[in-house]
Amino acid sequence: MSLLVLDDVEKRFGGLPAVDRVSFGVDEGEILALVGPNGAGKSTLLKAISGLQPPTAGRITFAGRQLAGLSAHSVRQRGVAMVLQTPRTFDSMTVRDNVVLGAMFGSTTGRIRESEANARAEEALEFIGLADRVDDEVGSLNLHEQRFLELARALAGKPRLVLLDEVMAGLNETELAASIDIVRMARDTLGVTVIWVEHVMTAVMSLAERIVVLDFGQVLADGAPADVMRSPDVVTAYLGDGAIPVE
Amino acid sequence: MTATTEPQTRAPRAERPAKASVVRAYLPIFVTVALLALVPLRYHDSRSMMGVVIGMLLFMAYTIAFNIIFGSTGQLFLCVGALAGIGGFGSVILSDRVGIPMVLSIVIAGAISAAIGALLSWIAVSRSLDVIFTGIVTLAFSLSFQSLILGRRDLTGGESGLRVEAGKDTFISEQVQPYYVFLALVFAYLVFYRFLQRSHIGWAFRALRDDEIAAELSGVDVTRYRVYAGALGSFMLGVAGALYAHSEGFIGPSTYAFGDVDVRTIVMLSLGGIGSLLGPVLGAVAVTALDEWLVDYSQLQVMLYGVVIVMLFLFFRRGVIPSLESVAARFRSGRHR
Repeated sequence: MSLLVLDDVEKRFGGLPAVDRVSFGVDEGEILALVGPNGAGKSTLLKAISGLQPPTAGRITFAGRQLAGLSAHSVRQRGVAMVLQTPRTFDSMTVRDNVVLGAMFGSTTGRIRESEANARAEEALEFIGLADRVDDEVGSLNLHEQRFLELARALAGKPRLVLLDEVMAGLNETELAASIDIVRMARDTLGVTVIWVEHVMTAVMSLAERIVVLDFGQVLADGAPADVMRSPDVVTAYLGDGAIPVE
Repeated sequence: MTATTEPQTRAPRAERPAKASVVRAYLPIFVTVALLALVPLRYHDSRSMMGVVIGMLLFMAYTIAFNIIFGSTGQLFLCVGALAGIGGFGSVILSDRVGIPMVLSIVIAGAISAAIGALLSWIAVSRSLDVIFTGIVTLAFSLSFQSLILGRRDLTGGESGLRVEAGKDTFISEQVQPYYVFLALVFAYLVFYRFLQRSHIGWAFRALRDDEIAAELSGVDVTRYRVYAGALGSFMLGVAGALYAHSEGFIGPSTYAFGDVDVRTIVMLSLGGIGSLLGPVLGAVAVTALDEWLVDYSQLQVMLYGVVIVMLFLFFRRGVIPSLESVAARFRSGRHR
């Protein structure tokens, strides 16, 4: 059964549809990459699911319940956590306290006590590999570490679905490999489902189990990575008419 | 990378809140209040000086309340006087006209202030007003409250004010006792402020002040906690304003005027330290002392306020207490290394 079902989801800015009646389902435990040219509506779709920018029409069913119309904190408390491309952290707090907040308010089991939130935060930071930085200021982390911190903050609430918005952009190769590992590990050991917007195609091809291609706000292709990337429509969308498909 | 399960070198655990830290959290409040309790020893003979120091405690209470609204959640309420005035006029009308017992009328009036504060917060959040627009909306509310006081002569006495019956000839209208009543109020407010800081509400306040989007993404209901702050702070303003009305025995439009109450509260808070526990205490003491020194130069006084505000925002943007704290922290960490 699908964990998340999008049904004619639409997001308009003024008259312009950024996401134009998108429908697909995501199974529990899947790692789904959402790709497409710039401005295709990928990030907008993630923000619509997360409640940051509620959809203007359509239904978003998560574990049998409606998400469309809920605000971001309610979506999070129902088990959908989002990590943004540009990290939004609590800069006056330590690394640990950033994650404590995510555990305290963003848990699927409702608000939890500070002591328990602390334990969950340490667990999440251990998992993500920031255990030796718990008492540091957020400002001392680099971009890669800040994204990991956000991921730890997301995982500390024990979500069932994690939305990642271009979290691998601008990383060097080691960082990229570490990011790919951690996402796969989150799915394998914690069982979270992942929807992941990405431009870095090497990462997509090595991690994604399924790819949905968006173009002009609509689903252009949906399937296994190798098949999707060979599809003529996708090649045209990325490279323009007349391009020769790669072998 | 470090994501593998190889044994980590664990960082030494920082001391997380434990029993000992409870003492450390509340001790400054006891010390401060004990020191303030000594003030009447020096001034108890003088009716006018007791009035001054009681006024100081009243403004301390206002500033602590304002600190919850503005310091903790960044909502610039330019209606401190109006909310206190709703408490003051409300309680006097309820007790003197309706005949409700004074203590009850103070609480009810505080609750009315809280409801209006919550409404203002809710409007500001749901319309996503930034600091400046919140300031403009609440200032407009202040001005209309002032007009209402002047206009409804039958209820408020208009320009000539109201004589307060409830509380007359009791201990709260004596020369020295009210000081301790207000000191108890300040004590309660400080304890409550600290309690909030340490509760999940304090966590939410810090989160939404740092970054609203990050707070929402972490599961913090930003709207709800903003409204909490508006309601709680306004309740405290209303109760303080009401208590002052019954203790003073007379209220008029200038008792809660914007130019007197709001401006002084903002100066006190920004001088002492926005978002700090003892900032309001320090700010109220400093501004009151300044007023007394300049009492013969009332024109200069207003000008000096202006200069103080400019200097604060140029050099001491965070206020005295947080600046001192960070200097102390730097000193401590310097010695460790």
